[in-house]
Amino acid sequence: MVSTYLILKYRVVVDDSIRKGMGYSGMDGKVEGGETILEVRGLTKIYPGGVVALDDVDLEFKSGEIHAILGENGAGKTTLMNILYGVLQPDRGEIYLYGRKVRFRSPLDAINMGIGMVHQQRRLIPAHTVLENIILGHPKAGRILDFKKMRREVEELCRKYGFRIDLDARVWQLSAGEQQLVEIIRALYRGAKILILDEPTSVLTPLETEAFLNSLKTMSKQDIALVPFVTHKLPEVFAISDRVTILRRGKVVKRLETKDATMKALAEYMVGKEVLFALSKPKVNIGGEILKVENLSAMNDKGLPAIKDVSFTIREGEIFGIAGVSGNGQQELAEVLAGLRRAETGRIIFMGKDITNTPVLERLKMGIGYIPSERLGVGVIGVFSLVENILMSLYFDKEFVSRGLLNYKKIREYAEKVISEFEVVAPSIYTKAAHLSGGNLQRLILSRVIPRTSKLLIANLPTVGLDVAATEYVRKRLLDCKEKGMGVLLISDDLDEVLQLSDRVAPIYEGRFVSILPAEQAKKEVIGAMMTGAYSGR
Amino acid sequence: MWPFIARSLEVATILLIAAIGELLNQRSGVINVGIEGLMLLGAAAGFITASTWGLIPAFIIGMIIGGLFGLIHAILSTSLKVNQVVSGMGIWLFAMGFVTYWADRYSGPLPRGVVSPRIYELSPMFFIALIIVVVIWFVLSKTHLGLKIKSVGENPFAAEVSGVKVIRTRYLCTVIGGVLAGLAGAFLSTTYLGAWSHLPTKGLGWIAFALVMFSLWRPMILLGGALTFGFIWQFAISPETIYAGIPAPLPILRMLPFIATIAVLVIISREKFRKKWALSKPEALGEPYIKE
Amino acid sequence: MISLEALKLKLERIPVVSGGQAVRISLLSLVFSFIIFSIFLSIEGANPIDAYTNIFSFAFDSKLGLPTTLHRGLFLLFSTLAFIVPYSARLWNVGMEGQFYLGTIGAFAVAYSLPTLHPALLIPLMLLSGALFGAGYGALAGYLRGKLNVNEVVGCLMLNNIAFWLVYLLTVGGPWAGIAESTSRPLPPNAHAPIIFYTPFTSYLAVGIAIVLYIFLSKSVLGYKIRVLGNSPTAAQHVGINAPRTYILVMTIGGAIAGLSGYHMWAGDPAFLMIPRPEAYKAIGDLTYWGLIIGLVCLLNPVAAIPTSVFIGSIMVGSTVLVRRLRLPFGLDVLFLGLVSITFAAFQFFYMYRIRRMK
Repeated sequence: MVSTYLILKYRVVVDDSIRKGMGYSGMDGKVEGGETILEVRGLTKIYPGGVVALDDVDLEFKSGEIHAILGENGAGKTTLMNILYGVLQPDRGEIYLYGRKVRFRSPLDAINMGIGMVHQQRRLIPAHTVLENIILGHPKAGRILDFKKMRREVEELCRKYGFRIDLDARVWQLSAGEQQLVEIIRALYRGAKILILDEPTSVLTPLETEAFLNSLKTMSKQDIALVPFVTHKLPEVFAISDRVTILRRGKVVKRLETKDATMKALAEYMVGKEVLFALSKPKVNIGGEILKVENLSAMNDKGLPAIKDVSFTIREGEIFGIAGVSGNGQQELAEVLAGLRRAETGRIIFMGKDITNTPVLERLKMGIGYIPSERLGVGVIGVFSLVENILMSLYFDKEFVSRGLLNYKKIREYAEKVISEFEVVAPSIYTKAAHLSGGNLQRLILSRVIPRTSKLLIANLPTVGLDVAATEYVRKRLLDCKEKGMGVLLISDDLDEVLQLSDRVAPIYEGRFVSILPAEQAKKEVIGAMMTGAYSGR
Repeated sequence: MWPFIARSLEVATILLIAAIGELLNQRSGVINVGIEGLMLLGAAAGFITASTWGLIPAFIIGMIIGGLFGLIHAILSTSLKVNQVVSGMGIWLFAMGFVTYWADRYSGPLPRGVVSPRIYELSPMFFIALIIVVVIWFVLSKTHLGLKIKSVGENPFAAEVSGVKVIRTRYLCTVIGGVLAGLAGAFLSTTYLGAWSHLPTKGLGWIAFALVMFSLWRPMILLGGALTFGFIWQFAISPETIYAGIPAPLPILRMLPFIATIAVLVIISREKFRKKWALSKPEALGEPYIKE
Repeated sequence: MISLEALKLKLERIPVVSGGQAVRISLLSLVFSFIIFSIFLSIEGANPIDAYTNIFSFAFDSKLGLPTTLHRGLFLLFSTLAFIVPYSARLWNVGMEGQFYLGTIGAFAVAYSLPTLHPALLIPLMLLSGALFGAGYGALAGYLRGKLNVNEVVGCLMLNNIAFWLVYLLTVGGPWAGIAESTSRPLPPNAHAPIIFYTPFTSYLAVGIAIVLYIFLSKSVLGYKIRVLGNSPTAAQHVGINAPRTYILVMTIGGAIAGLSGYHMWAGDPAFLMIPRPEAYKAIGDLTYWGLIIGLVCLLNPVAAIPTSVFIGSIMVGSTVLVRRLRLPFGLDVLFLGLVSITFAAFQFFYMYRIRRMK
């Protein structure tokens, strides 16, 4: 008991001395450029099951510069960030802060030492106001909240860095970019001198991104010592970073000054091989109209308009791709087409029939298939076996049901067939879905939906979170559907994917289709601009 | 007329104390359906203590017992991750059995002399209840602790990364909820009833539970609800004090509070209120907190 | 707070618990509650081994407690089944008490109106009426939840209390009052349940229903839909399963089963054959909550619920011997049941986690 107290006290002493500076200006005033503020040596992390997330990583972050960490999904970026923020403990290796060796046992340790993190997933309280979120847990907040004083301090902070935000807005009312801003302000208000940003621009529109990157530059030149910046987007690396380190499969593969790097080189280091680009699109005759959507409008869960006056058609053998940053109405559009959300105005005509108000079950029976964007819990049920999951698309088919009872023999045979056809890897068809990996889960979902879809397939973010091999597989399957004469609606936030696979492309922005173009005429920069508001006429 | 109002206010006191406790732990994300059981335990503990040692010790013991079982609920649901409804129901069923064994041998009124002081026939506990409500309202809306509690109930993960100790906060709120439920029970048996009978709470705990839900988790609305239902309950028991010669038989009247509760629940579930209700509800209510 | 890390232990989540493990855990929790109860027994000056021997020998003695053990045990089975069906859709049917009361009203209404009807007609009619009344009450709760989104736990509890007073209204000084004024008139002889091998025929009915439910839940389309809904309402919506309708359906089924228990309870025990005083019928009503505990312990398996219910019944009946024969304080038997409940609840933890030594 006594020793614990002493250890705690000692840690506080160490923290204080780190903060008071050891010769670094630390808290107040400008930091001299070029000094190493944060360093990791030999950092290693192995997850249970043997997955090596980080392998002997050495990194140095100097003050006054923006050091970008570049890597694909799974390269180890998030693990690195989580260790630096105290969420995870490394198995081997050391962390040095201002030259002193430190250990972060929890995020609180990291916060107390001046490290702030902006996560990929928002860590805010949606029901509370911006101000409440910023001051939550602040050590100087005291017992009774002096809102006036804290408000003044936060406003002062915002003025300093040029942030504009309404402190009394409820967080759920804010856009993704604004919510991220709140997290940054919160970190800065807690005295963060080091900001770790994990894929910060993944939810921002290009306009927001530009503003964001500019404020990063401002911050790094002021008394925020450094900003390690984690991303997989090449253009941003060039936009603001001074140095870049590329991670691949947990190892550092290259360190470069940004001025010495080229896009192609970075991409190659990231992926490790010549980037595959062309998936041969099969030549298919486009047939008659399957789906016709006229002036469709719908609301989102908050009661605000999500889709505004959308019209388009999809024909047999055609892949229609909707390109856009997530949150512009794609999810709601998919749900309305699948029958999960009500249309406020407009019509949906499928194979000549008006199905605007047709219930989900009817649509499924008519040959519409929906691959939802969420896997576990929506596309599959974790505690069900593979067979029971596949059954979700079979239970209403008389072929598998006799006198109200399920015909398990037929179901089993069918399940075995589709599981092998879609290469779902599992010990048996009775394995519980929760034990499958991400790629296998998606194969399972495909095996459930695709064979039961005859006319129209709606694929909502089908490759999100998957590794390269699984992604390729899913794309191949989508092209198969096209070959079989199905119409495919592809919703994706990966512009390359949409351009590769689609016959026609529709960029979506704030619930409206900016235009509908044949793929040959769609230039990447133009579509990119359209889906981020440049052509919206506002 | 006044005696009727005084008694109604006493019922309101019971409801208020128990419900404000439950409101507190629900704000931190923990649902305690065992509130009726905690009240029973507090009632039994209070009554037995009062028989020998008087009122003040009775309330203290009632609070301790309530807090103890609140702690058990916290351990089961927060640390051991047992489903909160199961844990609460387990405690309620246990309370029914235990209280019967423990207190039914004392059936009958409190010994002479053990009587609550009353100001114009109203027990001072009513004012204590009001103070408790104001204190909790103040804590929740004006203090840092209150902000932390609310954040734990909305998004414990966000709270954790801001440095809030989620587990500790939930324990604190659940135990306080238990303490208050125990106090309410002790007050019920020693002051309002003044005598022991088999399972004296008769469903009041469940009404308190429902009150929390339709108060939109706001202490002031809860106050209004408790007062209202205090009157309804007392009216159901002794309508003749207001209106002599009520034609409806006793059982129908006794059903009134429960029918009223359902009516309110239905009203607030209508589309108009549903959104407001959904927004006020602590988002993480009832969900176990599993650290990543 | 004791930190698990300090004790070098680690919590490991079990994704799905197997039937064998569930049995082991339940037995363990029973043993645990027996041990705790032994402490109380000792405080009251009784020898635990002595007490337990008395309990079970009484409960299973065909001349003493066996008929009551079976009767109460199968009553619990009705309650358990009434809980299992809605819970398969993740609805908490804690309204079994009210549905049981309504079933009682339904059955007795028929019996009092047609007292001279031949038993072969009267009894099935009583059962049907009881089931319908219970089903209606369950449907009401289901409607509150399915269409109006009222929390079903609170809704059911309110309905339970209302139902209690409904029975009171009819029996205590009401149209069904007997000579005693606080109990009902006796049931006409034609309404008495035939006894087969120490137990009313409705016990066999319960077992039959359990088997039917087992097949229903695991092998029928409707049962599958219910389970999908219970596991993920979102996934269910995506594949066209209508949630509100299904919620109402499962509550109706649950209510019907609980309603049947009304006839079983009063017409099946020669000691009653009427509705007793409010304290007495409330005590029976409180027993229905055991359906929750047994249902969860059996992992919602209707067939497993059969022996479990009978076992709990034996404890219920056997422990009355503690008060009567061994002269131990009143309420000790109820205490035992309370202990078993809370221990079962606590041991739910082991359904989800394993404790492992850290290396």
